[in-house]
Amino acid sequence: MTEPSTTHAIEVTINGKIYHREVEARQLLVHFIRDTLDLTGTHIGCDTGSCGACSVILNGKLVKSCMLLAPQADGAVIDTVEGLAADGELAPLQESFAAHHGLQCGYCTPGMLMSATYLLRENPTPTAEEVRRGIKGNLCRCTGYVNIVRSILAVAEANRARLTGTSAEGGQQ
Amino acid sequence: MLLKSVEYVRPGSVDEALHLLRSNAGAAPLAGGQSLSNILKHRVASVDVLVDISSLDELREIQRRPDGSIEVGACVTYDELDRSLGVRAGHEIIARVASHIEDSQIRNRGTIGGNCCLSDPTNNLPPLLIALDATMHVRSAGGSRRVPVEEFFKGYFLTALEPGELLTSVEIPALPAGARAGYASLNVAADSKAIVRSAARVKVNEVIEEARVVLARVAPVPIRHRGMEEALVGAAPTAESVRAAADTIGEDLEPVADSHGSSEYRRQMARVVARRAVLEAIGQGGGM
Ligand SMILES: Cc1cc2nc3c(=O)[nH]c(=O)nc-3n(C[C@H](O)[C@H](O)[C@H](O)COP(=O)(O)OP(=O)(O)OC[C@H]3O[C@@H](n4cnc5c(N)ncnc54)[C@H](O)[C@@H]3O)c2cc1C
Ligand code: FES
Ligand code: FES
Repeated sequence: MTEPSTTHAIEVTINGKIYHREVEARQLLVHFIRDTLDLTGTHIGCDTGSCGACSVILNGKLVKSCMLLAPQADGAVIDTVEGLAADGELAPLQESFAAHHGLQCGYCTPGMLMSATYLLRENPTPTAEEVRRGIKGNLCRCTGYVNIVRSILAVAEANRARLTGTSAEGGQQ
Repeated sequence: MLLKSVEYVRPGSVDEALHLLRSNAGAAPLAGGQSLSNILKHRVASVDVLVDISSLDELREIQRRPDGSIEVGACVTYDELDRSLGVRAGHEIIARVASHIEDSQIRNRGTIGGNCCLSDPTNNLPPLLIALDATMHVRSAGGSRRVPVEEFFKGYFLTALEPGELLTSVEIPALPAGARAGYASLNVAADSKAIVRSAARVKVNEVIEEARVVLARVAPVPIRHRGMEEALVGAAPTAESVRAAADTIGEDLEPVADSHGSSEYRRQMARVVARRAVLEAIGQGGGM
């Protein structure tokens, strides 16, 4: 990487799996994830950094994968929406989106889930205001956001109950 | 989107980055990429070599000095500014302003250096850094220089940087004794593009002794409004005198008109945000 080149060999860990690929420097990270690795859960809405559909968590930080080049991710650890469910079981956050009608067409959902996952990692018990700020970078053209905020708050509520020892259904995200 | 073919390089040090910038005519630094990616997508600038400076440790430090000043590396992100105890200790307003830039994804990547070097008149940090009287530390393969922040922003997407130069850090002095800062912004929506905004630093010692009042989006670059500053100095720190001083903002400005506001609207709102920023700086308002 210390010599300028239009192609680079990169190593990226996505959802726990290590990938080695030769990439073009001009390839956007979102295309690397979707087209090269065929992980199509991550969506492209605007391609200008405005909609958040391409959000992934890179080295613990929420980012828009259309705003990075693939070689910038060399050495990175990335979480995408495919990594949320474990052993065929949806994550509590995903269950909550289903239970509270947090999605309609589903286009924004992978990005919403990643933003909500990041928010809850940073702050397991956000207020409604904090949830709204947490998903500010994610546009949804269907739901009007109300049920998305409800879905996230339900998990926050379950976290609060767990952390304070009171019983509640559900659990951590 | 497919970009034009481009070379990418991740140098191991600032010296290496400077060498790469000097030896490649079409080279540009890549910091957070939160503007440059879109510039490349739209092919509005031609870049042949992207020199990725974003992970250089030398550009990622925040140092707080005994005199209360801070030196912030160019590649410190907005999120890191917000979380930094060193920044919050004496410059809480920088953390606050950084925490309201657009959204969490952009705050996790965008850098103080990129925010300044782009010289986009809607960017949040330049007016604040002018109000706080920052100094820009600049290096090239041939040497280094310091540029007072007021001489850094030259025009729309234009700064004092010469080809081959890097902004390496931003030095922000401690607030003088008795001085506070304020920041107020009229945005298109919460935490989004500004229609007009103001930042201020005001020193009070019974009366107002010193005032720096900066307006953004009323000219190609953020400007100090000398009329309002002069009207404030010597006045009592009261809402009435701040209002009177803000009324000096007027026909001297020719703000751009666009879909978010006419020139006249911006002029009127400039008075409002300047008043709010100064009220916050004298401890009489919420700002923002
Ligand atoms: C949807 C969206 C909304 C946004 N809204 C806002 C907003 O409301 N307010 C706001 O302030 N910003 C906003 N931004 C822009 C964002 O803050 C960018 O992060 C910032 O403009 C550039 O910083 P960067 O670190 O991402 O720089 P880059 O995009 O990497 O670089 C920007 C330019 O500066 C040059 N450069 C970068 N660092 C240096 C350096 N150290 N020395 C010399 N040259 C350098 C680059 O070569 C390039 O020309 C928004 C961006 C997006 C995508
Ligand atoms: S596709 Fe990346 S932000 Fe819209
Ligand atoms: S559910 Fe359709 S865009 Fe959000």
